[in-house]
Amino acid sequence: MTTLAPWISWFPALAAVLCGVCCFKPTLRNYAAPICVIGIFAAFISSLLVINGMDTHGTLHATAFEWIVVGDFVANFSYFIDPLTMIMLMVVTGIGTLVAIYAAGYMRGDRGYARFFFGVSLFVFAMLTLVLADNLVLLYLGWEGVGLCSYLLIGYYYDKPSAVAAAKKAFIVNRIGDLGFAAGIFFCYTTFGTVTMSGDGGIIEQARGMLESGYPVSTATLWIPFLLMLGAFGKSAQLPLYVWLPDAMEGPTPVSALIHAATMVTAGVYMIARMLPVFELSPYALPTVACVGGATAIFAATIALCQYDIKRIYAYSTVSQLGYMFIGVGALSTAGGVFHLFTHAFFKALLFLTAGSVMHALAGQLDLRKMSGLRHKMPVTCWLMFVGCLALAGFPFLAGFYSKDMILAAALQQGLDGHNTMFVVLAIVGLVTALLTAYYTFRLWFRVFMGPEQFEMGEDHHGDDGDTGHDDAHGHAGENVGGPHEMPWLMNGPLVVLALGALLAGVLGQHWIVDNVSHSTAAPHVAHGAHGADHGDGHHGSLLFGMDLHLAMQLISGCIALLGILIAWYFHLQNRAAADRWATRLSGVVTLLENKWYVDEIYDAVIVSPLRALARGFWWIDDKIINGVVMVIAAIPPLLGRAAQPWQRGQLQGYGLTMAAGIAILAFLIIVSVL
Amino acid sequence: MIEKLVPFQVIVPVLGAMSLLIVQHVAHKLVRAMALLWSLIGLAITAIIAINFDWSTGGSFETLVTIPWAENLGLEFGFGYDSISLCLVMLTSLMMPLITIASWSAVVKRIAEFHIWLLMLEAAMIGVFLATDIIFFYVCFEFTLIPMFFLIGIWGSSRRLQAAKMFFLYTFAGSMITLVGIIYVAWFHANLHGGEWTFGIKALTASAQQMSYHEQFWVMMAFLAGFAPKVPLFPVHTWLPLAHTEAPMAGSVDLAAVLLKLGTYGILRFALPMCPLAAIVIAPYITVLAIIGILYTALICWVQSDIKKLVAYSSVSHMGFCVMGMFAFNATGVAGSVTYMINHGLSTGALFICIGMMYERFHTRDMNQMSGLIRAMPIWGGFTVFFTLASVGLPGLNGFISEFLCLVGAFTARDVLGPPYAIVAGIGMIFAAMYLLYMVGRVVFGPLKLPSTEQTDKGGHVIAPAAKIADLTPREIGTLIPLAVLCLYLGLYPKPLLQSLAAPIETLTRPVQTALEQQRAERANLEKDASNTNNPIETIDATDTIDAAMKFNVTPDNTMTIHTLSADATRFATPVASDTMTIQSVATHHIAGVSP
Repeated sequence: MTTLAPWISWFPALAAVLCGVCCFKPTLRNYAAPICVIGIFAAFISSLLVINGMDTHGTLHATAFEWIVVGDFVANFSYFIDPLTMIMLMVVTGIGTLVAIYAAGYMRGDRGYARFFFGVSLFVFAMLTLVLADNLVLLYLGWEGVGLCSYLLIGYYYDKPSAVAAAKKAFIVNRIGDLGFAAGIFFCYTTFGTVTMSGDGGIIEQARGMLESGYPVSTATLWIPFLLMLGAFGKSAQLPLYVWLPDAMEGPTPVSALIHAATMVTAGVYMIARMLPVFELSPYALPTVACVGGATAIFAATIALCQYDIKRIYAYSTVSQLGYMFIGVGALSTAGGVFHLFTHAFFKALLFLTAGSVMHALAGQLDLRKMSGLRHKMPVTCWLMFVGCLALAGFPFLAGFYSKDMILAAALQQGLDGHNTMFVVLAIVGLVTALLTAYYTFRLWFRVFMGPEQFEMGEDHHGDDGDTGHDDAHGHAGENVGGPHEMPWLMNGPLVVLALGALLAGVLGQHWIVDNVSHSTAAPHVAHGAHGADHGDGHHGSLLFGMDLHLAMQLISGCIALLGILIAWYFHLQNRAAADRWATRLSGVVTLLENKWYVDEIYDAVIVSPLRALARGFWWIDDKIINGVVMVIAAIPPLLGRAAQPWQRGQLQGYGLTMAAGIAILAFLIIVSVL
Repeated sequence: MIEKLVPFQVIVPVLGAMSLLIVQHVAHKLVRAMALLWSLIGLAITAIIAINFDWSTGGSFETLVTIPWAENLGLEFGFGYDSISLCLVMLTSLMMPLITIASWSAVVKRIAEFHIWLLMLEAAMIGVFLATDIIFFYVCFEFTLIPMFFLIGIWGSSRRLQAAKMFFLYTFAGSMITLVGIIYVAWFHANLHGGEWTFGIKALTASAQQMSYHEQFWVMMAFLAGFAPKVPLFPVHTWLPLAHTEAPMAGSVDLAAVLLKLGTYGILRFALPMCPLAAIVIAPYITVLAIIGILYTALICWVQSDIKKLVAYSSVSHMGFCVMGMFAFNATGVAGSVTYMINHGLSTGALFICIGMMYERFHTRDMNQMSGLIRAMPIWGGFTVFFTLASVGLPGLNGFISEFLCLVGAFTARDVLGPPYAIVAGIGMIFAAMYLLYMVGRVVFGPLKLPSTEQTDKGGHVIAPAAKIADLTPREIGTLIPLAVLCLYLGLYPKPLLQSLAAPIETLTRPVQTALEQQRAERANLEKDASNTNNPIETIDATDTIDAAMKFNVTPDNTMTIHTLSADATRFATPVASDTMTIQSVATHHIAGVSP
């Protein structure tokens, strides 16, 4: 069934068109959800069929139609499927279907119901285009396309100014990264003479060839990875371009789960993995990626410690986990990075959706301080989130445990084998971050679900736009009177699937992922140096405490996860007063972290405000100076005319006088010259 | 047979204008219906021609039909087209019925006159693109001023008189100088061909390439004097925001969609092929101006409160990309530039229509007075967001294709532009997102706030009560849908368009490419000279250079021209050899130039 390959992404596109029609016909509104679910599910099924029709570890090229063809610049709607694409296809369409089903219940009764599913379908189209793209320009189309959908969906509650601002911020910050990405594409075109990635003569093959023939360091190959990286940092919310992701939580929760946790934000990791040979061309590129990832991981984790908004905690956690993935690809363990991407998609989607359930039940309440002990009201949600939290914290034998360990072990190995202190430091940073992660995750869970039952309902129900004009009574409006309630199984069903993923994806998925990644373009060029993670249980050079690195790392990180959970248990369940005491004692640090290191304020003062002042200056120059000069020039002819006007009064004696004076002067001059 | 139809693209609107003159005092409905009918006839003719056009080759711009004018002066109305011309004509004839429909409720005074001027404007604009005779071109080019002047001056808003005056002065003053340039080229041609005068564009282009560098430079300057304000290029752009803001919606749409393209079209059709040497030399300077325009006006957009002014300034910014792509001289850049003309016309034209529809409802353009309009007018909001995204250059919509190709072109333009130009201009993509999303966030999204539509007289008495705000009518939706479909189509499947543009672009840029290759060859020779340091100066192999120069420059007094050309070419070639070597080579070239 490989003939379906070019059309995988077009099922959701068709769904988007149909949902778009539904937007304008209120009677059709409720059909949007099934259309969207079917569209994404069709993509899932067709991906399965295509993969089934392919050889094991095979690759597939397919072209839907020609797009931009100018001279030797060719960028078509052509797709490339290799094992790495398969993993991404499964994640995007699988998680996408589950989230869409959940959202069908979650968004019910909202006035923008059809608009929401239009956005989601369009997003899945763009995301599939991104992962399937065979050339960088098409990848860029998907890249900007997911950014657009993110913009539309963050700004879904468009009459909330904060949502509009967040949407704008997301798009613009991403555009900054995208400029780097676009420049990277241009350099690729000039260096490799093509923008096609795969196949003979493709960028990846050429880069492999360059790697095999030694290290030909040219300016272009040195720069390309850094430019592409900039795009990845924007899309995957890494330092210094991470600022948009926490604000993106203004969007509906299913969007946060699908776009801002499971799929879109991992596009940067995917892109680096896909272009790995190109990144390997520059000796400094991957270490930089790893460093930025490590710095982001710990930086975002510290912020997550002191936030009170449930969704923002998870947002910073996402930033932090993406940091891990970057450490992974940076340490040449693309398998680890992609594995973490895979497991993270399950448990983070689960966490966001359960957080959405809490928010749904508490009428939009997201403040950690205003809820407690909800386990009796929402037992299913409580335990589903517990599974997600364990997986995120890296509790032994759950999904996050395996993938995080794989990354950290690879970093440590890179450090020990290559005598590279930086990677050792990164591994340690990763472990500290793991401790923080376990702590803030369970801080949230203990606060929300454990302890005495106490809660304060939010101001508005989610989905209610806070406007008097909403035309459809909310489906749950009546139930809210009785306080929080458990979600219907339409919404909990997908969560159970995700929870199973969070439990088992690590154990069952590891081999599959490692095997697939090592047979894709993301397989590192083996020639330089040892790197453990990619050949699974093969021999390793270094030992730690007399143990195999992986085993040692698993032990350490397991203990660290338990320790973090214990600390959270003590401060946020056993002795909440102690937590408050510590908070007052460290009030300086807490304020700094609550205000997210004041990064937004710094950006505003350093970049936005000066730029705005500059803009106003330019406007003044344009209006006053440039226009003024033109006006002055334009005023010269009339002025000349005015100056001559007094002499043209039409009075004969005046002309006579002038004439006489002229003759007199002439005569005088002649006489003088003759004499 | 089809050829015979070509002049009718110009004649039909003129006939239409005349017929409106007759019926102008009859019912308004009749006037409007007739105006629409005439514009539809024009569109139909264009459609017939387009259907019969051979899109795969892209046409050749041969004169197909001639209408005699003043034959003893070599003047004639020559009509012809290639795919570049035809695309722009199609854009013009498509916009015409759309803005006629869109103006039905917007224009309430002097309706017949309004449509007469619109039709005359259409005739002139189409004439510009179809003219194969440079004086015919120039007449049409200049004639566009008159309808536009009246459209702004009569149906504009409060500062319309100043705007009309400024528009006229700016563009008229420059184009006078262009006329001088044109006459010089014709005179040069006549000198070359034994006093036989012609104004045919093809013949003039062939001759003009033989001008010396200095002549080319000044002719180029003369062309730019007329074309640059039309584009408009920084710093001669200040007429545009005012004219756009004050013009009625139909005027703004025509300005943005077509009139600005007269400038870039002129540069592409005349300035580049006629003055290749000068084009190469000034390319970096013009591009720097274009880039300043991109960034500087983009920032200005960001602090506007007048929505029409914002979109007007955004035109200046966008057209900067168009100019940059053109001065990259390569297939990608110029293709980007030509598609930019079409795509910018579609998306910005549509944006102006959207703004016009909003203005008609609220009678204000002040963004502070409104917010969240999508709640009151969801369909309008949807279209506005869509066209904004097309304008931002979102991949999948039309704007991206051209912007991307312009940037690729500038990036890869060897010896002319290069990566720094493209990357700095690329910052404009970020700024475009900033100001356009700022506009959308302010007007379309946000909490609902409607401007008061109550009209009061000076004493505060209510003349007209607040109107009920209704979403777009089917008529209005009908005007926007063709534009939206085209934006999407050209974004996803631009291939046929790009393919048909390739050959004409190749023809137009060949002179520049030839000159560039020649300079490269010369530079390679210099390098070779520099490496053969043992050779005495007399034996430096300069014959290749001279051969190349001879091929390029076959003027009657070739010794003098070669002399100038070689000297100039060397001067502008990047100094690859050491300073002394360059000087030696220049000296050699002088010797070589004079000796034969």
